[in-house]
Amino acid sequence: MNSFRFARVALRARPSALRVPVQRRTYAEAVSDKIKLSLSLPHQTIYKSQEVVQVNIPAESGEMGVLANHVPSIEQLKPGVVEVVEESGASKQFFLAGGFATVQPNSVMSVNAPEGYPIEDFSADAVRAQIAEAQKVASGSGSEQDIAEAKIELEVLETLAAHVK
Amino acid sequence: MTAVWKAAGLTYNRYLAIAARAARRSLKEDKRIIAERRGETDLKFSKWQNGKAGEPQNLEKANTAAMAESAS
Repeated sequence: MNSFRFARVALRARPSALRVPVQRRTYAEAVSDKIKLSLSLPHQTIYKSQEVVQVNIPAESGEMGVLANHVPSIEQLKPGVVEVVEESGASKQFFLAGGFATVQPNSVMSVNAPEGYPIEDFSADAVRAQIAEAQKVASGSGSEQDIAEAKIELEVLETLAAHVK
Repeated sequence: MTAVWKAAGLTYNRYLAIAARAARRSLKEDKRIIAERRGETDLKFSKWQNGKAGEPQNLEKANTAAMAESAS
């Protein structure tokens, strides 16, 4: 019974709230609509809490784009291309070998990977040569571990081949 | 579905190391030479028992053997 009365009060209150524009400036409106991105490797920091517009990551659960105020999450990355849309509107692509991406509640994002380079640093010839070699090992008669390793390499190389021209 | 590498007893750490190695090998010549040095590890260990050091073993070989053992 009590909850009914509350519901009616809420209904009545809503139209007036719509008419009067909110004058209050809250924290959520004052912060920018950018993500603070840190993209780091064991040997190098590519982005150090730099403000960017959007980050597209190849998560194990599927490709996803992250904008400001994204729901906090932890994603395991597949070997693949991370695309960063910078403030200027230009986008940069990096190939990462794996790792994790975490999104924190206040538009702070960090991506950690064991190895990563701009996509233009890869050589299509080197990729092609390695695919041939890995395929030979994967279909060969090596130990179970050797075959599994060749399959990991194939996963990386085939993704690279799709992106490197 | 379990990944093939997991079924073969490989650890996630090993999976990452292999993926990183494949990425490094795919770089253009000049960058590749610098990067590939990062992938090299050479570590030996020996197990101590009753105050005596055991046979020094190569860590990488011991790891491979351990992974083969834990393959399902």
